[in-house]
Amino acid sequence: MMDELSPLRLWTMRAAFLVLTVVLLFFHLLPIETQPVAFLAPELTPPLVSIDPAEARLRSLLDQGSDRFWVAPDLLIAFAFAWSVRKPDYVPALLLATAFLLNDFLLQRPPGLWALLALIACENLKLRGRTLRDSTFGAEWLAASAWLVVIMLANRIVLTLLMVPPPQWTLSLIELGVTALFYPVVVFVTHTLMGVRKSTPGDLDRLGGR
Amino acid sequence: MRRLLLAVISLILLGVFLLWRIDSPRVERFRAQITDRIVPNMEWAMAPVTGTVNLFRDFQSYQRLTVQNQELRSELRKMQTWKEAALQLEQENARLLDLNKVRLDPRLTYITGVVLADSGSPFRQSVLLNVGARDGIVDGWATVDGIGLVGRISGVGKNTARVILVTDTSSRIPAVIQPSGQRAIIAGDNSAAPPVDFLENPDLVRPGDRVISSGDGGVFPAGVLIGQIAADPGGRLRVRLAADFERLEFLRVLRHHGSEQVSQDASVILEEGTAPIIPLASAPVSE
Repeated sequence: MMDELSPLRLWTMRAAFLVLTVVLLFFHLLPIETQPVAFLAPELTPPLVSIDPAEARLRSLLDQGSDRFWVAPDLLIAFAFAWSVRKPDYVPALLLATAFLLNDFLLQRPPGLWALLALIACENLKLRGRTLRDSTFGAEWLAASAWLVVIMLANRIVLTLLMVPPPQWTLSLIELGVTALFYPVVVFVTHTLMGVRKSTPGDLDRLGGR
Repeated sequence: MRRLLLAVISLILLGVFLLWRIDSPRVERFRAQITDRIVPNMEWAMAPVTGTVNLFRDFQSYQRLTVQNQELRSELRKMQTWKEAALQLEQENARLLDLNKVRLDPRLTYITGVVLADSGSPFRQSVLLNVGARDGIVDGWATVDGIGLVGRISGVGKNTARVILVTDTSSRIPAVIQPSGQRAIIAGDNSAAPPVDFLENPDLVRPGDRVISSGDGGVFPAGVLIGQIAADPGGRLRVRLAADFERLEFLRVLRHHGSEQVSQDASVILEEGTAPIIPLASAPVSE
């Protein structure tokens, strides 16, 4: 196995995080979700059948039965959190900022704000990483979820203060919940498949100190 | 050192956000350029993956294939009779137009684009087309899917253009409700049926009335079908959209170079020499 702390490994993992960002973006941008989320759709009256039966029949024929019920979790921030807690060296601030800003631009968000908030959260998790590393997974999950809530609220407050219409409450809450629920899965993938693990007390860091 | 770097990065991010808030068009242009650089490079991988995903999603509709086929056949037979009726009407219409010497707007042509990507989040409703400034696309043009209005162009890169769908929260389309002729704004709210805003007299509007674009305000063409009026349980009027948003694959961008405005008084008509004595209110406009 490659030396955990060699520069080669370090830069490979940094590159891997960038690749991960692009892959996640790729799946976000796939043109398969071109309609609004179905559970926000109001029931329309009168039903189309009673006004225009022909049109209603045609629509039911054209209906492909793929209504959108799924709000995807924000996996990028979950991965960023998980990596920040485990191996802060793999995700330096510049890398995180680039990844988040790219997401802001390509996902039609107000550029910079979400990236800034997410970066602050990650840096805080890095600082607390040492204590979080020693405690159970529950504490880490709680900390990550708390930061998700803080980011969402801060984002809304800043947007509202600057008179930018903030995103819909319901959707934000659903996304938040789904992301928090997916966090253990993300940590599992990070730990087992990507091999990003908490450093054990025996490991020396890059500079040779403890 | 690390602290300093972090502070600098944070300041840059904050600066980008404030710049966007102050000078939104410039940053949005920059966004369009970034999108233009990155997304077309993903196209080679996106097309097969999208195809595979859609194949799996179609799986459930394969089960009712035979039933659907029969229904389509009978529908087709009905359509045949409608087609005959439409042809006759078209001939009659052509004769009447000829009698009236009406000139239809010949400049309303379209460019067809393929949908490259969607907005990537449930908060925004937009798609990215593979046609852009290179193909002469202009901000504000209307986009239809063959049946009804899908959205308007907002953000043009060299090779790509973004279409803000009528369902997006930032979409505002001036519309006319026929047959009453009431003007309104169709304001997207991230639901499948956008509400009707700024309606003068809701009593004149009935469910099932057709909503078409009014073309107010420049480059947006008039007369594009948007949908039909319906109401939600709260009694608010909404539009049941004519376009099929379930799977947008090909979209038509309507070329439009602004409608002619009658800005001067009758002297324009009188100078032509024919001097028709008609009240100005019913003066024929070329659209």
